[in-house]
Parts: sequence; structure tokens; C-alpha cells
Amino acid sequence: MAVTLGKRKRRAEVKAEQPRKRERSWSRSESEDDDDETARALFQRAFEKKFQPLEVTKSTSRDEEDESEDGDEDDGLESDWSGLSEDEDAVEVVELSQPNVGAEDGFDSGKKAFMSSRPPTIDEIFSKATRKPTKGSTSEETGTEAANLKNDLALQRLLKESHLLDPSSFSKTASNPEGKGRLKALDMRLQDLGAKSSALQQEKMPVSHRKGITTKSANREATRRKEAMENGIILERQKFAAKSQKKRDRGIGGPGVGKFQGGTLRLSSRDLKSIEGSKGKGKGGKRGKR
Amino acid sequence: MTTAPGPAPLKFTGSKHLIQRLVLATLTGRAIRISQIRASSHTAPGLAPHEVSFLRLLDAITNGSVIEFSYTGTTVLYKPGLITGSAAGYGSAGGVVRHELPADCTRGASYFITPLCLLAPFSKAQVNVLFTGPGVITSATPTGDISVDTVRTAILPLYKSFGIENNLELRILRRSNAGPGGKGGGGEVQLVFGHQVRLPKTIHILSGGRIKRVRGVAYAIGVAGANNARMIEAARGVLNEFAPDTYIYSDVSSAPLIPAPERNNANAKRKIGLGFGLSLVAESNTGELYSADIASAPSGGEVPEDLGKRCAFQLLESVAQGGCASHVAAPTMLTLMAMGSEDVGRLALGKEVLGSEQVVQLARDLRDFGMSGWGMKDADEEGEAVVSIVGRGVGNVGRKIA
Repeated sequence: MAVTLGKRKRRAEVKAEQPRKRERSWSRSESEDDDDETARALFQRAFEKKFQPLEVTKSTSRDEEDESEDGDEDDGLESDWSGLSEDEDAVEVVELSQPNVGAEDGFDSGKKAFMSSRPPTIDEIFSKATRKPTKGSTSEETGTEAANLKNDLALQRLLKESHLLDPSSFSKTASNPEGKGRLKALDMRLQDLGAKSSALQQEKMPVSHRKGITTKSANREATRRKEAMENGIILERQKFAAKSQKKRDRGIGGPGVGKFQGGTLRLSSRDLKSIEGSKGKGKGGKRGKR
Repeated sequence: MTTAPGPAPLKFTGSKHLIQRLVLATLTGRAIRISQIRASSHTAPGLAPHEVSFLRLLDAITNGSVIEFSYTGTTVLYKPGLITGSAAGYGSAGGVVRHELPADCTRGASYFITPLCLLAPFSKAQVNVLFTGPGVITSATPTGDISVDTVRTAILPLYKSFGIENNLELRILRRSNAGPGGKGGGGEVQLVFGHQVRLPKTIHILSGGRIKRVRGVAYAIGVAGANNARMIEAARGVLNEFAPDTYIYSDVSSAPLIPAPERNNANAKRKIGLGFGLSLVAESNTGELYSADIASAPSGGEVPEDLGKRCAFQLLESVAQGGCASHVAAPTMLTLMAMGSEDVGRLALGKEVLGSEQVVQLARDLRDFGMSGWGMKDADEEGEAVVSIVGRGVGNVGRKIA
């Protein structure tokens, strides 16, 4: 999981770089042309004050020039000449490329929705289908948003799992836990997502081992509490495992009270109390008289 | 039962609007006696096979109904019971009531499904009925029934405005046109109506809006799929001019087989219900639906292009009638409004729809069953009228204690 995240990140960086490059190139060409353009505008305005307004047909050709300059600045002359010669006997090729694929996709999804056994809720499906392309159009916004979301996730994870990061390895560039820490972090994430039990916990082991583990953890907890008390730190309240208050299933033919063992019915003091009821307290005594 | 006798049964005559009356009787819990059913006919007096079949269906999804026929079948006494739906133990196996339609049934499956849908929201448990047998015609029929596709795409969505929208399904398991002579078919349809309510919501639907899209299903059963393409092209030729967002999906299936035992082969089967048809639904921007339906005649001899064009014209006519419910949808809408809570619901209808025989008769029948009268006034649009109906809060007896 962590590895894939890293990969994604790298890809995002590459994406982010590309537009920047383009911007640089644009800005360069613009700075060159800026003065020229303002001068032209000034001339045009002056001209138009005296005479009729000019027809603006030049702009498109100028754009083309710009492009050619961008592409290969060195041999601009050559390209100009060759273009002329080609134009004479060039066959005009018109490519009829429609955005057919998208439409058919919409058709298919619509078909699935319309031809299913449920009454069609055309609105929802088609709004979904039309929403997709609009997302594509604002790809830059969504790109930054996605990056933000990714960073958010990374930060949240870092905060949560910072205790797993070994202080010695923390100096490394990688912010993700590695090795054992990575496994622990994964396990934590799974538990956050609702896993019932930790995947790292061993299920089967000898009783002695299990006992050792429980006593060790109990000891650790006890020392922690003790130290905290000595240092005057207030800890969270200790939780005791709640005793199950369920009624015991006694089976058929068993005694209604007590415990039948070795041919004798043993009654605990609690059982006795329950049999006798509250003796001599309040109404209980009076009711006992018959 | 030993309960005290209720009020005397309402009396109706004639075979027309029989289903509508039976449905209203079941919903309101009033007993009815319908007499003189095709009494003047010498060849086929009394109840027709499809009517008997509907009575059987009512018996299957209710508990405690009493149905009594006279000797000739020209008189029926129906004392409705509680609508239990497909609850286990009342004739349903595995939660599904299996309803077989007889081979001489001339009506489409929608003849049974549409009224069943009206009863289903007021049922105690969900209604899950599988229509099967040698008489299930899923296509539109010459007798004027709509196809099951139209039921699914134009009738079931109506229930959404009444707050009934979850778990509604109409599964078309096997398609079939009408068989030879318009009788029988081998289709299979399952209706699952899993949303039961105490009372349907009060609606105020006054603006029909403008058509924004047209959808449709073309079906070819046991014949070449090219018929579909031809129908679709013809229909699009008409409709594209008005609504460019027109998609008609094509469904090609093989002909259903029904058992036809012969003397030397008991397991023999034969094909039935070949043909093709088209169902179109136009949706307005306010969500109203207008539908059109057509299917090839059982005798054949019709060109797909003709059918496609006729269906498109039919759709245009339905749209032209205006209002917020087409003549197919109006009875369902109006009945649900009458069953709603004691509040005024309003619905704009085209005057042609409102003046149709079925709607007028529905108004009269509702009055007979003790529902309030309808208020009518001109709507903002020309040729439309607003019908206001006060519900009687009859609703769901099975859900009164909930």
C-alpha cells in the first residue's frame, strides 16, 4: 500500500512539472512579442483615427508564424519556402473524427439502466454520464484537488503512525514506515477500517506462551500506572472487563439453584441469600409471617 | 366468517370496467355484485377467461376474499379480504405467487400487472407475482393493452411521486407477442413490488414541461432482428426532428415454446408469439412520462417501417394531449390520489384525457365507492384542466397498526 502511494506521488509530480514547462516557454515568447504588439496597436489606433478601421485578418496568420517560430527558431525561412511549394499540389485532407466513443459509452450505460428490470431512473444515470466529461474539462483543478487530498491523507497517516517511526530511521527521506513498522502501520489502518482483530496477533500458541504474554502486558501496564502515580501524572481510568451477567443455562433436569457436584448440591452464600430473600429488612420480614 | 354482515354490496352491471371496480372494491373493502356480464351474448356469456384469471389473482394475493359466480358466470359477488401480498403461507411458494394465465387469454400481461400495482402499495407484505403459463403476452396487444416495457418505463415510475419507489421491479424473463388469433403467448414476467406504505403522498403536479428525451424498446421475438432496426429507423425519422435525444434500444429474443402434446409425442412443444413491436416513452423536463405502444398484428402482413412510424405518431399524439399524465397513466394517478390522505391533491390533465371514457367512469365509480367528488378548473395551459381530488385516507388496512 505504502509503496503504491509513493509511486502515485511520483507520477503526480511529473504531471505538475509539465504545465510549468509549458508556461515558461509561453512566457518567453510573449515577452519577446509584447513590445511589437503594443507598437502595432498604437499604429493601428492612430491609423483608424484618420481613416476607416482596418480589417483584422492578420491575427490568424500571425499566430501561425508564432507557432512555427516556437517549433524551430533557426530555420524559419526554410520552412516558409517549403510550405509554399507544398501548398500548390497538396490534397486537402479532412479528417472526420467525431467523439464517437464517448457517445457510445453513454449509450451502453444508458442501455444497461434502461433495459434493467427496475423502472428506469433516467435522470440519475444520464446526469452521471454527462458529468464525466465536465470533470475532464477542469482537469487542472481536479488535479490540484487530488494532490491536496493525497497530501492530507499522508499527513493524517504520519500523525497517526509517528510512534511507529524509528527515531534512528526518521532522518531518512522516506516518510513512510518501513520494515516491521510498515506492517504495524498496515495493521493499524486495517483496524481503523473496521477489521475485527489484528492480523499480527498470533491465534494459536502454547498456553504457557499466552500466559506469559498476558502477564507481561499486565505487568507493563501496572508499572506504567505506578510510575505515573509516583510522578503525579493522571492517567485514564482503568477499565475492568465487565463480568457477564448472563443467566447460566442449566440444562434439563439440573438443579434450579446451586451446583450439583459429586452427588451433593452445593449452595454458595449468594445462592442462600437469593433463596432467603432480604431478611429482616423493611417489608420482607412482615411478608414472611404466615 | 361469523362477523356481522357489512353494508349491502354495491351493485354494478356490465362487463366494462370490471377490473377497475374490483380494484376499488379491494382497496376500499366494499363488497360488490356485478351482474349482466355479457348476458346478451349467445356464444360467450359471462366472464371471459382473462377476467376469471384476474379474480383468481385477487384471491391469491388477498386473505379472506369471497368470490361467488352465478351458474352462467354473468353475475359475480366479490367480498374483498385483506391484501396480504406474497406473504408466506397464503398460496405463495418461497415468497412468490405463481400465477398461470390460460392459453385462451387475449389480453396482455399489463392487463393484470397495472391493477396489481395499484393494490400492491397497500398490501401487508411485499407483492411478488410471477406471471407464467401459455397465456402471457408481454407485448402490446390488438385488444389495446400496453406492453410490459411500457409498464416498467412509464407506469412504475409514476409511483415515485407518491413516495413509493423502493424495490420496484418488473422482470421480463421471456418475451412473447400475441399468439395466433391474438390468443395466448409464452412469456414470463415477474412483478416485485416491495414498497408498502400506509398512505400515498399527496401530489401537486401542475406543469407538464417540455419533452427533453425519448427512450424506447424495440423487440423482435422469433423473427429477424432487422425488424427492430427498421422500426427504430422509421420512428427516429419522425421523432428526431422534435427530440434529438432519442434512443431506442433493441431486444431480440427467440420465440417462446409452449407444450403442445401430440398423440405420439407427449413432450412436443410449439413456438408461439412471434412478432415484433415498439414501446416509446417521452420524458419531459419536469419528469412527466408519455408513452406509445405498438406491436405487429398476430395475422402478420405489416411492415416494420409502418409500425415504427405509427408508434412515433402515437407518441406525438400522446404528448399533444398535454397534461401531466397520459391516458395510460391517468387512471393509476387518479386512483392513488383518491386513496391518499385527507388532503387536496392536484393534477393537471389534458382535456382529452380527462374526457376519456375510462377516466369519466373512474370518477363515477369512485363516487359510488364513497370517495369524494373531483374538483375541476381550467389550467394555465390551453386544453388542460386541473383536477383536485380529496383523498379519503383509506390507505393500507394492513399497516394501520405500525
